[in-house]
Parts: sequence; structure tokens; C-alpha cells
Amino acid sequence: MAALVGFRACLSALQLTSPGILHSSYKLCAVPLSRRNFAVEAKKVFSRDKPHVNIGTIGHVDHGKTTLTAAITKVLAEAGGARYKKYEDIDNAPEEKARGITINASHVEYTTANRHYAHTDCPGHADYVKNMITGTAQLDGCILVVAATDGQMPQTREHLLLARQIGVENVVVFVNKADAVQDKEMLDLVELEIRELLTEFGYDGENTPVVIGSALCALEARSTSQHSNRDPELGINAVMKLLEVVDTYIPLPKRELEKPFLLPIEGVYSIPGRGTVVTGTLERGVIRKGDECEFMGHSRSFKSVVTGIEMFHQSLDRAEAGDNLGALVRGLKREDVRRGMVMSKPVSIQPHQKVKAQVYVLSKEEGGRHKPFVTNFMPVMFSLTWDMACRVELPAGKEMVMPGEDTSLTLTLRQPMVLDRGQRFTLRDGNKTIGTGLVTDILTAVDEDKHNWG
Amino acid sequence: MTLYSLFRSVRSELGKVCFSQHRSIYTSSPSLGADKALLLKLRKSTGYTFINCKKALEKFNGDITQAESWLHEQAQKEGWSKASKLEGRKAKEGLIGVVMGDNSAVMVEVNCETDFVARNEKFQQLVKDVALSVMAHHKSQRHTGYIKSLVWSDDIAKLHMPEGPSLADQLALTIGRLGENIGMRRAVSLGVPSDWQIGAYVHGSVPGQVGVEMGHYGALVVFKGGSKEGMETLGRKLGQHIVGEAPVTLGNMDDIPCGDSETRLLPQSFLLDPNYTVGQYLTLHDAHVLDFIRFQRGENTSQEK
Repeated sequence: MAALVGFRACLSALQLTSPGILHSSYKLCAVPLSRRNFAVEAKKVFSRDKPHVNIGTIGHVDHGKTTLTAAITKVLAEAGGARYKKYEDIDNAPEEKARGITINASHVEYTTANRHYAHTDCPGHADYVKNMITGTAQLDGCILVVAATDGQMPQTREHLLLARQIGVENVVVFVNKADAVQDKEMLDLVELEIRELLTEFGYDGENTPVVIGSALCALEARSTSQHSNRDPELGINAVMKLLEVVDTYIPLPKRELEKPFLLPIEGVYSIPGRGTVVTGTLERGVIRKGDECEFMGHSRSFKSVVTGIEMFHQSLDRAEAGDNLGALVRGLKREDVRRGMVMSKPVSIQPHQKVKAQVYVLSKEEGGRHKPFVTNFMPVMFSLTWDMACRVELPAGKEMVMPGEDTSLTLTLRQPMVLDRGQRFTLRDGNKTIGTGLVTDILTAVDEDKHNWG
Repeated sequence: MTLYSLFRSVRSELGKVCFSQHRSIYTSSPSLGADKALLLKLRKSTGYTFINCKKALEKFNGDITQAESWLHEQAQKEGWSKASKLEGRKAKEGLIGVVMGDNSAVMVEVNCETDFVARNEKFQQLVKDVALSVMAHHKSQRHTGYIKSLVWSDDIAKLHMPEGPSLADQLALTIGRLGENIGMRRAVSLGVPSDWQIGAYVHGSVPGQVGVEMGHYGALVVFKGGSKEGMETLGRKLGQHIVGEAPVTLGNMDDIPCGDSETRLLPQSFLLDPNYTVGQYLTLHDAHVLDFIRFQRGENTSQEK
């Protein structure tokens, strides 16, 4: 029966679209064509039918990152997967504020046949690091843009170093401006060299896809293609190929839903006759009625079972990341838990006392301190629903941290709290936010860390 | 299956043989492949673009030494044209470089467009060249007594590297290499009488540089007195304070502090020991600060033309 329905749906989709249209947009939108028609009717409704991936472009200032981004939106706009953004619109993107931090970045979104992309481009190293720390758009993959005319630049090393630092595992190379190079051999050499460099920085240089083309050709090609004096092979086709390669080579990131569940506890209520309910917003994962759970934090830890889930006074069987819910827990007493603890899938997360973190320290203009700080500075760390005093230790060779800098820090908490690699936090001192950070490593606390609190 | 694997191994052996033959051809006769190998070698050793390397090899029929010297000449020319093309593009990133000498010190600021380039060793080499050239110039003047001279970009460009080309040429060369607008923004050289001291601190310093300290902030402080052995640490601490608290003027020893917004150095509370003001801390160490100068990368200055 189901097969029959599917078959009929296919048929009707075919009838809806004339063969000509189907052919021209075959590469991009073979599947969601009929669905897209709905999207046009109900204007600007974001449809979540494709997995989302964050990518970025890195490369030398004159190698055509912005031109490439513009070309991608142009090519996809013709297939209905994007809104065409002109070079100037991307280039003059205003600086944005994320968590009170000023970041220079331009974001563009587009859709290919299989995925939805957010495309980020930042001018500098510091901006990418801020981007990573504040989590506005953690990059899942990167397009390294190299001009065929120049080949890689001395600073391409620094670009790859950055990609490593911010945890980009997959890099795709676009060799731009190929129209300005007549000699095919030159292109081969540029490709050869970039593969070598990728390998040197620990990427899979041999198998990294390298697409050769010209973003300018794609941008200047007329859609009617009659007057097109530009080579479509290097232009539109190369951009299409790049997108195809990005689609296949950059793997889908593991999304919050697939991870073990974690509920930071915001409140605890006892309901006469039923038991104790903990409330909070589910940080990640999925909770089902009857799931085993573990409570942790504030030096306590015990296991139990979730016997009921409620949202907006309605009972449900399953809650997803992002849901604000209340969970009824078997045998729980009100005094057993307090705000700041977490309820998680058993043994999926542990409390820790000492971590290494990458921190961006707010500048005075962003509302931070105007003074630098040194080792033994004691701010309060806020993460999930807990806050705890912590001691700062600067990395070797660094004597102080100036406002507006990013740095790696070792943080020791007064008491162990739930911390995980990749968890975000804020440091505050008095009534000022000092900085925002990301846990990069868990360290084992030694005895002296435990007693040195005055 | 076994037949298949046999076939494969035979094929791969065959491939190897073919390949080694090819290799021998590459090295013995000037075929297309030889060009390619030479080209790669030239590109690796010089770092110039493939196109230029190829031009050079064609011009000198594959003579790599001649090609190399021609490329160097060419790079200078291209550097100048690139420099004039990129002129006027905003360059706010970069590094502060500090070099210390006997009773003298030099601090320079060199700017570029992105912090990627500032992290590159070629750029750092330029900062070093500029700092050392200013230092050499300062020494050649043979001043006595206290001298502090601030030099702006055009005048820096006129200086020559010790036994080398002018800094303007060196700058153009680096611009040609890195493809970004680079500016030698300002330099200050200090000379002091032999019983005075210069303390220095560079913040966010770049590792792996010998003789020149580089970072995002720099401070030089001229002071007198203090114990013989603690001199360097005292100078460094004062420099650190100046970088951190950004004082504007020196102030007097008997000034009354006016809280967090204090911009005079002496009444500011000392960064590394907030129980004292800088003035009190200096009295404790029996020292006097006479002058200081602070550079912050990319900051706006009123003195600039």
C-alpha cells in the first residue's frame, strides 16, 4: 500500500513540473521540487527538511573569497536555492554582536539538493576564534580559496593553522582565477603544492577534493548563455562541482538530538501526591518516559528513573533538545536536588574541577574590564544553570591578559561542577562580564587545587 | 581471485618499472617533465609565483641560478607596482617590535591588513629589519644625553638596512610577497645617559624571535635609580603597568589619585600590587620614572599627519 502511495506521489510530481524545468534544475533540486512550490506560496517560512551544515571560506584577501561566495549564491539563486547576494553586500557586512562580543563576519545562507548551508566569512584569525568561542556558527568544514595566479601564499600556512585550531576537520580547496592562467600545467602545479601543504598540516592532502574554476566567470556568465563569452566549464560548472564536493566530502555534524540527554536543572518543585518535579530546558538529546537518569553536581550524585514528562501542563512521552520541560522522577525528594545540578543519561557526563579553556576577554567597549588580569584572578564562572568561583591561571610565557584578547586559560573551580569538552561558559567579576569561553580540555585536579581557597 | 591478485601485482610491478624509467628520463633530458621538476624546485626555493618561475626558466633555458637572480630583480619591480596598487587599503593589524641596545631602545609599529599575515614569519622578518635599521641609524648619530625621537612612515622608509637596501625597497618586496598593504607606521628611538635605565615590555609576544620582541602592545619606560640587580625586573614591571593601564601623562609624585579613571602614571594604582600607587612603589624601590612611551597596534594617534 505504502509503495503504491509513493508511486502515485512521484507521478503527480512529474505531472506538476514540465520536463524542461525538471531537466534544467535536475542537478540541484530533483527531489524537493514540488515541496519548493509550497515554500514560494507561504513566503519566508524556513523549512527544516534538509540537514544544516556550517561552512566557511578562508584564504588570502585578494584570492576571491567574496567573489566565490557571491558566485555560489548566484548559481544557486538560478535554481531557487538561494537569494543572490552581490559582492558589495557581502563585503560590506556590518559587524555583528554575539553575546555582546563584536565579530566581523558575513553570513550567507543557501540550499543545495541535499543540505542547507550557513556560510561564514571572517576577515581575520581573531574573528574566527571569537566565532568559535561564542558559538555563533561553529564551522563543520572549510573551503580554502587559492588563486591560480599566485598559488598558495606564505600566509596560507597561517590559514591552515587556524583551521586546525578552531577544530575544522575537513577542508575542500577551490583554485580560483583559473581563467587568468592559460597553461594547464600551472594549475596542476598549484594543485600539487596545495595538496602537499594540506598533508603537512595533518589533513588528508591526497584525497582532499580540489576544484579548479573561476568565481568571476560564474558571476559574469549571463543566464541566457547566448552572450556568454565566459567559459561555463570554469564558471558555473566549477561552482556546481564545488558545491557537489562540499555536499559529499564534508560529513554531517552530530547534532544535539543524537547526543545523550542533558537537562540543566532550573527549578525543583514538589507536587503533593505525585512526587518531585525538576524543570529546565533540555540542552541536548531526547528524554523518554521510563529513561534512567543520573543527577550530578554540588558534590552529589545519584541515579533514578524518569516517570513522567510534562510540557505546558500536558504530559508527553518524549522531549527533545530545546524543550522546556518538567520531569517527574521516581523517589526524588525536594532537598536532594537544587538548581545548578544536571539530570543526564547515566555516565554520559562527569563533574570536573579543573579545565583548560579558550577564552575571549571582552574589551572595554564591549562592556568588559578596562584593566588586564593576571594569574590568581578569581572571577565567577557561569555555565548551564550553575555558577561557581574559579581561579585563573595563565599559560606559560604569558604574564597578563589584556581586554579584547583571546587566550587559553587554566581554570580551577572551588568545587567540581558538570563540565564537558565543548561546553560554553561566561566569566564575571562583580557586575561585569569579563569574558566568554569554551572548554577545550579536562584536567585532573591535584591536591593543592583543592585547598588553596584562602 | 588468486589470478586477479597475481595480475594486479604484475601490473603494479610493471607500473613501477615504467615509473622509474620515466624518472630517469626526467633527470637526463630536458623534456616537459624536467621543466616541471625544475619549476617546482625553483618555486620551493624562492617562493615566487609559478608563472614568474616559468618565465624565468624559459628566459634562461633552464639555468636555475640565473633564473633565480632574475626573479629577485623582478620581485623588486613587482613589489613596487603591487605596493602602489594596494596603497590606501586599510591596514590596522600588525605588530609592535622592540629592540634594546646599550643605553638605547627602539620601538616600531608595522601594520598589515589581516592578523594572518602578522603571524607569518616573512612579516615578522620585516618588523625585525625595520627595528634593527632604526637602531643602526640611532647609533650612527652618536648622541649624548637624553634623546627621544619619533619618526613617521615616510622618514622610516628613507632609512637603510645595515649594509643593505633601503627600507622602502624591503617593504615593497614584502608587499609583493604577501600581497597585502603593509605600512611602517611609526618608530621611536630612545637614548639615555649611562646612569639611566630603559625598561621594556611587549605584550602578546611572538615566540621564536631572537633579539627583537614583538607583540600587540609595547611600552618603553625611562627611569633612574633602583637596585642594581632588580633593574631589569623593575623596568619590565613598569612597562607592564603602562601597557595595562595606558597612562597618558607622567604626573607628579605628590598628585592625589582620582580612582579608576586616572590617566597620570604616578598616581595610578600599581597593576601588579594594587596596594600602592606607582609613585609609592617607585619610592619603595628608590627609583624615579622620567619618561615613558606606549604603542598599541592600530590605535589612533593625534600626532599623525
